[in-house]
Order: sequence, then structure tokens, then C-alpha cells
Amino acid sequence: MKNVTSGGIKLPFALKMPAKVVWTKRTKSNFRTGILFLLPWLIGFFAFTLYPMVISLYYSFTIYHSKRLPEWVGLQNYRDLLLDDKFWISLNNTLYMVIIAVPLGLLASFICALLLNLKVRGQSFYRVVYFLPSIVPTVAGTILFLWLLNPQVGLVNTLLARIGIDGPNWMADPNWSKPGLILLGMWGMGGTIIIYLSGLQEVPISLIEAAELDGANWLQRLWHITIPMVSPITLFNLITGMIGMFQYFAQAYVVGGGDSLGSPLNSTMFYSVYLYQNAFLFLKMGYASAMAWILFIIILLLTLLLLRVSDRFTYYAG
Amino acid sequence: MTTTSHAQKSIFNIGRLLQSTLSHALIIFIGLFFAVPFIWMLLTAFKSNQDVFRTPPSWLPHDNVFVDVNGEKLALYDVKTEQGVKQLALIKILEGVGTFVDPAKPDEILTYEIQQGAERIAEPIMQVSFRWQNYPEAMNRGSRPGVGASFWVYFKNSLIIAAFFIVGTLVSNTPVAYAFARLKFPGRDLLFVIILATMMLPFQVTMIPIYLFFNDFLHWGDTFLPLIIPAFFANAWDVFLLRQFFKTIPEEMCDAARVDGASEWQIFTKIVLPLSTPVLAAITVFTFLYAWNDFTGPLLFLNSPRNFTMALGLQDFQGQRTIVWNQLMAAATVFTLPIIIAFFFAQKTFIQGIKLTGLKE
Repeated sequence: MKNVTSGGIKLPFALKMPAKVVWTKRTKSNFRTGILFLLPWLIGFFAFTLYPMVISLYYSFTIYHSKRLPEWVGLQNYRDLLLDDKFWISLNNTLYMVIIAVPLGLLASFICALLLNLKVRGQSFYRVVYFLPSIVPTVAGTILFLWLLNPQVGLVNTLLARIGIDGPNWMADPNWSKPGLILLGMWGMGGTIIIYLSGLQEVPISLIEAAELDGANWLQRLWHITIPMVSPITLFNLITGMIGMFQYFAQAYVVGGGDSLGSPLNSTMFYSVYLYQNAFLFLKMGYASAMAWILFIIILLLTLLLLRVSDRFTYYAG
Repeated sequence: MTTTSHAQKSIFNIGRLLQSTLSHALIIFIGLFFAVPFIWMLLTAFKSNQDVFRTPPSWLPHDNVFVDVNGEKLALYDVKTEQGVKQLALIKILEGVGTFVDPAKPDEILTYEIQQGAERIAEPIMQVSFRWQNYPEAMNRGSRPGVGASFWVYFKNSLIIAAFFIVGTLVSNTPVAYAFARLKFPGRDLLFVIILATMMLPFQVTMIPIYLFFNDFLHWGDTFLPLIIPAFFANAWDVFLLRQFFKTIPEEMCDAARVDGASEWQIFTKIVLPLSTPVLAAITVFTFLYAWNDFTGPLLFLNSPRNFTMALGLQDFQGQRTIVWNQLMAAATVFTLPIIIAFFFAQKTFIQGIKLTGLKE
């Protein structure tokens, strides 16, 4: 039952129509007990998920400036968004991170996991070192990187200068602010490394040994055994990473310093930052709700697409 | 025959050795990428105000060497005088002219230009010195001057919110997970699909109505309630994690109790929960991590500095025009410390929990 490698995103049950329920006294009592146990979630689901979803969908078709009553405008918000340059900038910035930062992070995590899986002295110490930054609070980590990447007195540019490289202005340069944030993200990828590491430990040693006997070299074993074996984990990390990246907020907010969100030159104006700005700084609640629904639909479609495409590339044991 | 195989073997061994040395070196090199920022944070937190902006920066924190002259603590400088380099104590610098005093002859006031053209006449004498005062200084101040609240208050606020958040999470998720793991009733599987589907829903979709509900309808703005109350209504991630664990508890134990006439509630509280301490510990640690780290929630609901959390206070502190990096790093260290402590106390729990949330069935 606890077959970890066969995990990934595969649903843990078959989606089928429920058999017709015969409501005996017994099932009625079971149903009552079940609902009572589920009560905390059921109330929460209606209060904090379903009701807000419906309301926010409604808001997305209205002009709603917080204190005044919402005014129905049909599809106007959606039309306006398509003509809003800043909307496209924020979407582009976010896609940049999804397309570059997420796969790069996965690749780097996988390589780190391979290294940490090697039998070297001090292995458990190195594991702690690689993992620890991932639990540093986001705001603290972001501020630390603002300091490390300080153009004049930052450690990174100091070290670069020592090997003769004139470091960029990082967070002050629109071309380098996103790479700076990617570095910050990679510093905190310990969680993904651990997930990959546990996947690597599940790869049957017999399989590796058999391949070794057949004369497969290190690279062939990696390509034909290890990578396929951890492919469900890659898919899982890809989807959660993608969903997370579309909601990238706190780091960008800290970099923007609150009152200059998106600086420099809108290069850190990510989708969720612009959404926040519309909702809580411009008080355009309807407009922001329309953005939220577009975000939801993008995430939904991309997830389904990834699941569909991955069917061909993902290996499930058993 | 034997010799060649022997030779082959030793070449093989050398290859292995080279490979393992190389990979070990690589592990250390990449390890530096993870460790150095951390170390830099700790070291910066000990630097003096001038030392922070020294170019190029040094690794270890340096501070001026001070001397006591007529009961005053003055910084010592190397000054190039007509009689050669002398160690003088600085009283003040005004328009590039320093007023010095010789510690040996405290009544004699001397003035020298700090810089003549490209040549520096007076150079402060620095020594390695860890400035521990940065910690109390950072913690006793607010995120901006005159807010009437200090980082201690933010720390306390974060602790209060995290504590209630943990209680709410444990109380609400366990019965829900038990129902999904062990109770059989019509509609259960459909509800389970729904709860899993909520994992995909971005917070942004529900954020605005939830904000308006707490802020405008219940008038709970600028209180901890909007940050704490939702924890008492279960969430998909914790339900899933708990359900996975509950399913590993032998069914026969519960059945035996059922035969003895125990109610489901009794089975849940008397049998299942006591056997679940490892997963409850994992949930506690992860919930603490989440609540302690949370930035968006406090940003939405908390306005006045006396209600700020550490995350919010630190962001506010950073947003100031003059950034005192040493104090900022000291506050960031204090912010990070509880999590590091939690990690070392519950290392196994941490790793186990990540594997459990990261991988399904």
C-alpha cells in the first residue's frame, strides 16, 4: 500500500460513479457519524472555499471599489485586462519564472539529491546543510539576499570582483532582478532535494546492479533507470512548483519594499503582486477578482496539460 | 594473468578513488552555496555600523579600538603627523577636519585633515570584535522610529498566532482525517475528491471575499482572529497527511473495540490518536513553520505596528530609507532561530513529514 515510487500525482482511487446507495438504518447512522466527523472541514469548505469562490466569480463581473456596492458590468473587467499592459507584463514575468526557474530548480535539486545519495563521509551533515536554508522564513531569506546581492558592499559582487568579474546591480537592474530571485529560490530548494532523495533511495539496488553487470556505465544507468524511476516525483514537483510560482508573492513584495512594488521597472511585477496591488492598493476588487479567475483557469489548464503529456514520460511501478 | 587482473583492479580502484574525491569536492562546493549566505547573515549581525559598509567587506566583524580619555570612550586612529604615525583618539570630525587628542596627553587638542588629496591622513584602527549589542538594540526597536512597539512585541505576536494556529490545526484536522481514513459512509469518496481538488485552488481566488468577510463584515481587521480562525476548519494538506497515517493503524484494533461496543468517537480519541503521536508531531512542526513564516495573511489583516508579526515587522524595517543591515540581520537571525531550534529537536519528524507530503500513496 505504501508504495512510494508509484506515487506522483496519480489519484489514490479510481474515479467512478458511486454505486447506488441503499439507505438502511445502518447507513443512515454511518452517514450521520461521518458528517459529524467531517463538520470542521465542511463548515470551512463552505465558509472559506465555496462561498468565496462564488462571490469572487460574481465580483469579477462587477466594478467593485470596496466600500461601494458592486456594479454589474459583464465581461468588462476581462476585456480591460486584455488591454492592460501591466497585466501582460506581470503575466510575462510570471511565465519567465515558471519556464526558467521551476525546471532549473528541479534539475538542480535532482543533481543535489544525486550527490547527497553518494556514500561519502559526513553525508548526514551535508544533508542538513543543503536542507537548512529551506526553512529560513521567506521574508528573512529575501532580505538576506538583498544584502548579499547589494551592488556595492554585497558579498556576491565582492567575491565576483576577486575573480575579476564586475558584478551586476542585481535587484536594482531590471535584467538581473529575476535571476537574483531565482538564486534565492535555489537557495531554499532543500524540500525538493529531500523529496528527490527519498525517491532515489527507493530505486531498487538490484536493478542498478543488474545494469552494472550488463556493462551499463554511470550515465546509462542514470538515464535508463534512475531518471525514469523518479519521474513521478519530477511530475509532482513540476506541478506543485508551477502552481506555487504562479502565486509568487512575498519575495517580490519584500524586494519592491511595499511602496514601489515591481521595481525596478516592473521587472518584479509578478501576477500575484499586480493582483494584490489592484485589490488592496487601487481598491479595484472586481478587477482583481477577474485576475484571480484567469489565474485559476491558467493553473487548471496547465495542470491538466502536464498530466496528459506526462502520461507518456512517467513511469509508475506496479 | 593474475598480474594483469591485479593491475586492472588497482587502476579501477584509483578511478573509484578519484571519482569519490571529485564528488566529495563537488558536494562541499555546492554546500558552500547553501551555507555561506547563512554564515554571512550571522556575521553581519555582529558587525558595527561602519564595518557593514566597508568596501571590500571582511568576513569577520571589526570594530574601532576605543580608549578612555577623561571618562569618554573615543575611537583610536592612526594619524600621520609631522613626527610620524601616532595613535590618537578622535573627538569629532567636522568638514573633513578631525579633532584628536593624544591619550597620553589628554589635555592637548590636535587637529588634522582626515584626507589630503588621495592620501588618507587618519585611518581608524580596527580589530576583530563581535558586537553582541546589535541583538538587544535590534529587538528593542520597532520597525520604524516611534511606532510604540518593538521586535519583542512582533516576536510575541508571532508566537501567539502560531500557538493558536497549531491548536486549531490539530483539533480540526484529526477528526476529518479519521472520517476519510476509517469511516464508511455514502458520499465519502466524492467528498475526498473535493477536498483534494481544493489543493489546486490558488489562494488569490478566495482572498478578496475572505478579506471583505473578516474585515468589513465581522470588523476583525487589525486583530489576530482572521489569521487564527481559519485554522480551526481543517485543510486539505493536513487532512491528507493524517489520513495516510491513520490508514496504517491496524484495522483489527479498531474492530476489536467496536465489538466491545466502543463508539467511533471513543475509537478515535482512545485508540487512534494515542497511536498517532509521530504524525501529530509532524503536523505541529509544519504548522508552526507555516504560521511563523506566513507573510500574506498578516499583510492583509494587520495594520498597526503593535500587532505586527516578525515577518511583517522585518519587511517594514527593511523598507526604511536608511537600512541598518547589521540590526536587520540580527532581527532576521532571531526570526529564524526558533525554526532552527525546532529543526534540531525534530529532525526526523521534519524529513518524514516532507516525504509524506511530497509523495502520495
